[in-house]
Amino acid sequence: MTETVQAQPEDRALVRIRGLTTVLNGKTVFDKLDLDIPRGKVTAIMGPSGTGKTTLLKHITGQMRGAAGEVWVDGFNVSKLSRYALFELRERIGYLFQNSALLTDFDVFENVAFPLRQHTKLPEVLIRNIVLTKLQAVGLRGAASLMPAELSGGMARRVALARAIVFDPMLILYDEPFVGLDPIALNQVLKLIRTLNETLGITSVLVAHELEAIKQVADHIYLIANGKVVAQGDPKTIDHDGSPWTRQFFGGDADGPVPFQYPAGDYAQALGFKQGAA
Amino acid sequence: MSTQLERGENVVIGSLAQIGRCGLFLLRILAAIPSSLRYARETVRQLWFVGAMSLTIIMTCGLFIGMVLSLQLYHVLSIFGGTSATGSVVALAVYRELGPVVTALLFAGRAGTSITAEIGLMRATDQIAAMEMMAVDPIAYVAVPRFLAGLVAMPLLCCVFCGMSIFGGQLVAVDWLGVDNGTFWSNMTANVDVWDDVINGVIWKSLVFGAVIALIAVFQGYTTPPTSEGVAYATTRTVVASSIAILALDFVLTAFLM
Repeated sequence: MTETVQAQPEDRALVRIRGLTTVLNGKTVFDKLDLDIPRGKVTAIMGPSGTGKTTLLKHITGQMRGAAGEVWVDGFNVSKLSRYALFELRERIGYLFQNSALLTDFDVFENVAFPLRQHTKLPEVLIRNIVLTKLQAVGLRGAASLMPAELSGGMARRVALARAIVFDPMLILYDEPFVGLDPIALNQVLKLIRTLNETLGITSVLVAHELEAIKQVADHIYLIANGKVVAQGDPKTIDHDGSPWTRQFFGGDADGPVPFQYPAGDYAQALGFKQGAA
Repeated sequence: MSTQLERGENVVIGSLAQIGRCGLFLLRILAAIPSSLRYARETVRQLWFVGAMSLTIIMTCGLFIGMVLSLQLYHVLSIFGGTSATGSVVALAVYRELGPVVTALLFAGRAGTSITAEIGLMRATDQIAAMEMMAVDPIAYVAVPRFLAGLVAMPLLCCVFCGMSIFGGQLVAVDWLGVDNGTFWSNMTANVDVWDDVINGVIWKSLVFGAVIALIAVFQGYTTPPTSEGVAYATTRTVVASSIAILALDFVLTAFLM
């Protein structure tokens, strides 16, 4: 049992995905997907909408399990972990949700302090100092007493970011971290991601669409489409690799291997311009 | 005709499956009670929310039900010259049936719906998923405190309801209609049995009703689809399912406890 769960500790990839196949509502989201997230690096996952980027993060954290394949995180086969072991692993993972997911009963301070209060017995003074440090890092120390309903979308996202990093985790998963941020906050968040990576060696996985922002912070980019990795590489060169996938995605073209239109019947017939239309 | 039969069959099977899922959910709640002891403060907060915050509606309704019951009974009993029995009949009706049943129906409408809506919105806004990601068991942190709060609050609210009903009955019978105060209270104390009427009628019934309402409310909220429509349907289902369960269980419990 231990052999199937625990891998080699010297594995250079913090996250290793092999042959992951996921089918949701009859649609194949991942088709034998292989992907490695290297330790201590910032890796970006990009791809067209609905391609399964958030689903991939859910696989990494054990929120979802695939129909086939394996997901290894820090040497643990996530799909075979018990609930208790999965919770132990999650204590070392920070997760920034797309919609922030702040606890609406608590103010900003208590939201950031929540993981500390649940998993540690630190004295109140220390909890206060840690929380204020994290809030200072995202520029919201002055908003500590505000309730989530009083925050803008961008502010809520920064509070969620402070909560995600409050434990200084080994791995942080950012789901659309740049949405709703003004240029100043965006720049600070980019710096923060980079600083966390360089000073603490935290591995980061970013799911985002903003190529220019990604280029500033990521070490490696994966482009996912049609359930597979269709391109990967250095952020400065990936959009020049000449493949039809990268040309369409980074060029923003409607025509290409990724259909802009959701599968549908004949357009003219749907509008009633052809005989036999209803 | 066959389509209607199939639909009816699907409804029955769907309802039984839902009851089964609710039963399994209860087992998860019971299993999580030991680990939720560290969230005692959250349980107290929920007790305040579902118990203390329901006091106004419970006291008001209890008062008026006692008053109208006393008024009706006085006029019926006066035909037979038995107005002196008003106090005891009001008390027996309130302790045995009206107290637990009406309190439970009010509790389902006031507290049950808010529990469902709150948990449903927590799911819709990913707060439940966020807890999972922070390695906090949402069953222990969210479901168990609300379940325990419902279990504890219902008997207390039922006692308050019964007290207010008796007070309302006394106001109408004694202070308005002129029944002798001593007769009103002495008849009541002579005919009300603490074990049969108060312990079995009020405490046991309201404990069972509290558990059922809290379970339904938490289950509906926890399993609701994460959409505004899903939360609305779940809230409605809490009231409908709780009301049916209360009235059905009232019959079963009365038959067993009599």
